[in-house]
Amino acid sequence: MVSPAIALAFLPLLLTLIIRYRYFFVLFYRAVLIRIWKDCVTGLSREERAFQYVLTHATPGDPDSILDTFDVWCSKVEFISNIGPKKGKILDRLLMEHSPLTVLELGAHCGYSTVRIARSLPLGARLYSIEMDQRNAAIAEKVIRLAGFDDDTVELIVNPSDEVIPQLRSDYNLERLDFVFMDHWKKCYLPDLQMLEGSGLLGKGSIILADNVLFPGAPKFLRYIRKSGLYEWKIHRAMLEYSKGIRDGMAELVYQGIK
Amino acid sequence: MVEKFFQDHERKMPRDSLITSENDKRSKRKRAKSKQETSRRENNEEEEAQLTGGKGTKARKDIRNEKTRRMEKEEVREVDENIDEGKKKQGSTKKGEKKEDGGKQLVKEKARDIKKKKHKKAETSSEPETSEEDDDEEEDNDKDVVRPECLSPEELEKLKEAVDERKKLIQSLRGKPWPMKKKLVTLRESQEFVEKYEGALGKGKGRKLYAYKVLMTKKWMKFQRDFENFKTACIPWEMKIKEIESHFGSSVASYFIFLRWMYGINMILFGLTFGLVMVPEALMGRPYGSMPRKTVPRAEEASAMDFAVLWDFGGYAQYSVLFYGYYNNQRTVGWLKFRMPLSYFLVGVGTVAYSYMVVIRTMARNANESGVGDDNSFNFSWKMFTSWDYLIGNAETADNKFASITTSFKEAILEEQENHKDDNIHLTRFLRVLANFLVLCCLAGSGYLIYFVVRRSQKFALDGLENHTWWERNEVNMVMSLLGMFCPMLFDVISTLENYHPRVALQWQLGRIFALFLGNLYTFIIALMDEINLKRKEEKVVKFNITMWEASLYNGTVLENSTAPPVTIHPADVPRGPCWETMVGQEFVRLIISDTMTTYITLLIGDFLRAVLVRFLNYCWCWDLEAGFPSYSEFDVSGNVLGLIFNQGMIWMGSFYAPCLPALNVIRLHVSMYLQCWAVMCCNVPQERVFKASGSNNFYMAMLLVILFLSTLPAIYTIVSIPPSFDCGPFSGKNRMFDVIHETLESDFPPWFSKVFSYASNPGLVLPFILLMVLAIYYLQSTSKSYREANVELKKKLQMQNEENKRKNKRAALKAQMDLEEARKTAQEQQRNNNASVQDQEVYCVSELSDSWMKMRLSRK
Repeated sequence: MVSPAIALAFLPLLLTLIIRYRYFFVLFYRAVLIRIWKDCVTGLSREERAFQYVLTHATPGDPDSILDTFDVWCSKVEFISNIGPKKGKILDRLLMEHSPLTVLELGAHCGYSTVRIARSLPLGARLYSIEMDQRNAAIAEKVIRLAGFDDDTVELIVNPSDEVIPQLRSDYNLERLDFVFMDHWKKCYLPDLQMLEGSGLLGKGSIILADNVLFPGAPKFLRYIRKSGLYEWKIHRAMLEYSKGIRDGMAELVYQGIK
Repeated sequence: MVEKFFQDHERKMPRDSLITSENDKRSKRKRAKSKQETSRRENNEEEEAQLTGGKGTKARKDIRNEKTRRMEKEEVREVDENIDEGKKKQGSTKKGEKKEDGGKQLVKEKARDIKKKKHKKAETSSEPETSEEDDDEEEDNDKDVVRPECLSPEELEKLKEAVDERKKLIQSLRGKPWPMKKKLVTLRESQEFVEKYEGALGKGKGRKLYAYKVLMTKKWMKFQRDFENFKTACIPWEMKIKEIESHFGSSVASYFIFLRWMYGINMILFGLTFGLVMVPEALMGRPYGSMPRKTVPRAEEASAMDFAVLWDFGGYAQYSVLFYGYYNNQRTVGWLKFRMPLSYFLVGVGTVAYSYMVVIRTMARNANESGVGDDNSFNFSWKMFTSWDYLIGNAETADNKFASITTSFKEAILEEQENHKDDNIHLTRFLRVLANFLVLCCLAGSGYLIYFVVRRSQKFALDGLENHTWWERNEVNMVMSLLGMFCPMLFDVISTLENYHPRVALQWQLGRIFALFLGNLYTFIIALMDEINLKRKEEKVVKFNITMWEASLYNGTVLENSTAPPVTIHPADVPRGPCWETMVGQEFVRLIISDTMTTYITLLIGDFLRAVLVRFLNYCWCWDLEAGFPSYSEFDVSGNVLGLIFNQGMIWMGSFYAPCLPALNVIRLHVSMYLQCWAVMCCNVPQERVFKASGSNNFYMAMLLVILFLSTLPAIYTIVSIPPSFDCGPFSGKNRMFDVIHETLESDFPPWFSKVFSYASNPGLVLPFILLMVLAIYYLQSTSKSYREANVELKKKLQMQNEENKRKNKRAALKAQMDLEEARKTAQEQQRNNNASVQDQEVYCVSELSDSWMKMRLSRK
């Protein structure tokens, strides 16, 4: 029988763990517990709830207002892992600097990042957004239309990324991708990157931006880009979206091609 | 070049008169020479042949050609020698002419040389540079011609001087204000020159000797280098520590260096106790089983060899040289008449004295090394030039260091900005106070928990330990180890509130853990004291019983038969006292063992197991374990250092009652060196904020000193104030332990010595002496303070001077610039005037032309 004194001696450890990983606990609470509870109560999916909120609170046709509303919902009400306002600034900057004409987005989710990319694209640019989930895609479609982007600017493709990427060249007459934004399943980062390399859509100077490479993290992806030598890469360190203490990063890759 | 030099010194002719060249004369002479050259000395024949070949063409082409000139010189020299030798191939007139010619030639050379030197000094253009190089190359070509055998002593002297000059040049090259390219070129040339002609300085035998000397110096240098390598190879674990340093930065390495240092100290303590106490007793003292104190009592005999008992240092381990109780109080042991009790006492005192000495000496040395650096005045410069840790040899660590330097720059800039607007300082202060309050709460809580546990264990001890479970019996140790393990983590988390620089944070953390450990240690000691008092009460009872028992024994024998020999009782059956000293020793040994075990188990579970899990679960986990949540552990410098320090404190405290403690500690340190090196390299990641820890060594030392003091206090208290047990240990039967000194003084020294000693130990002498010492310390301290102030003053002065110099230089540069500009202006003006005149002329011309043209046109019209 362990005496109570010994059990009490474990109290500092418990406190330490709670304090050190408090952000993770908060995240767990917001992203999992609240979500399950709300799902049961409302009978809607999380994305649908988010869309309802946006619909009621944002100005239609104004991408900035829609993004702000999303941010408010995600930080105050519930949690959806969008790119977030802070990392979004990095994305905006990159888009402004390079003004790409053909952009591919993997993982539209509920359209936040799609709107974010689309609003900073130059005239005549085209964004292909891939989403594999039917319901999410429907909401993303609505959000994109709500923000005022039409089919010429944003093309939403509802299919898994590993099916779409090999056919991009044939089905959509793409020659080259200037900018790729990855924010779908972290496990798919590496295979999709390799598929992009194989498809020959990446040219010298094409930029690939991968979100959430540190948390939840894509270690194989990072290991690969470190080794491959095809890219000039760097990691923008930041915090996880809508959370203060969890570190995350975005990997910015510039395709150099085989020298 | 050689020629140049002795030309410089030999011929002191007026320069200007000789610069005019007489071409025809020279060409004539050359023709004559070519004829003559067939009859040269044997050793020079080949070169000469080449020379003639070269000369025949070149001399005719261009007389001023440098190479030919050099050859001519060569020839002149040879001619001179020929004359010396008395050859009769040339007419005396010719000779004279040639000599003169040669002389002129040489002086010209000299002039050129001087010019060159001027060039070097003035450093105006790169033109002379190239020509010089050419010269050198050419000299290289015909260097073989110059043999030291054919030099006169004077020339040799010159050559020597030249070589010396070159050497000087090499030495002073670094300070010269030349461009790097020029420096390199000059250095190479000079080195070549020195190498070439240094060997030539000795003739024949001397030369050989010289070559031999050079060879030997080279060999010696190589040997020295090898010896250095060998020495570093001899330093234990040097390579290991260097490797760790390269991977983890100097803060982690400082722990290992400290560990190694500690190992050295413990080796010496071990040598003292082992060589002067344990071995003599084991070899020369009475053997096991000869006395009650050297035998396991009858009641424990059955279980004395059980592992559980031995693990607790009971049974046979208790009744051995490992513990105080085993030692006999006989004054001398063996045929050497080794004074065992005296040796025991002196070794006990000596180890502590030695430790004090070493710690203080090391502290003083470190303080000297660290010097007086004011980090505040040039914050950014320091960061700029000194923040890189050059010992890092690992890419990942270098990345981390890079990141940490950038962040430190950012932070420094922010700090600078915040210096002007300090509205946030209250929050920081509040957070710091809050953090300290929390830490204090923690400390109080842990202290109370330990106190509670100790009280409980005393209750258990009164009940009899056999009635309780293992958990309850080991509760004190368990709780202490667990608190010692977990509280630092909590402190670490709390200290993130404070937002200190990591080096400062490390010191705070060290201080807090220090307080925690100290609390634990002292609770432990207080509990021990209670137990000592209990044992002493028990001892009194036992003593009374023994006298009764003996009396009954003798009474019985006396009653039966008065002449019969006294009854021999087996020593195991003799009743004996509890022997509190051995108990104290045992407690310390147990504590050390459990502490070591906890450390190793934490290492294996907290570091190794975690690393294994993180590494291999990462393949099938939904988030990145390596970069995210559990991650690999960092090396905990502060906790490890303090563990080491407190461990050492316990050794110091307990080694008087358990001579085996230093030996145990040596083993522990040895194992943990390897284990921790391995663990660090295999399961830890470099700290996120790598920082330099060059200054922290003295902090460790200061803590060690404090611990040393605090740990000698209880030991000295027990030695001085508690009478030793009556039936065990080297001091049994004495009133106090230090009585052994008196005894020795009385019986082993002449009476006058003890008299002197008694006078010397008279308070009337001791007190003034102490007073004197205090005064001396005060004096030294105040002088060192004034020195420090003087240092600061000097530094300020230096700074001022530097600034002054800078200003002066600036002024001079400005003036030069102004002059230059003025000169340029005047030049421009002149040019403009010229231009203007030219223009005037042009205008005049043009106007004339146009006039004429107009006239023509007019006339045409």
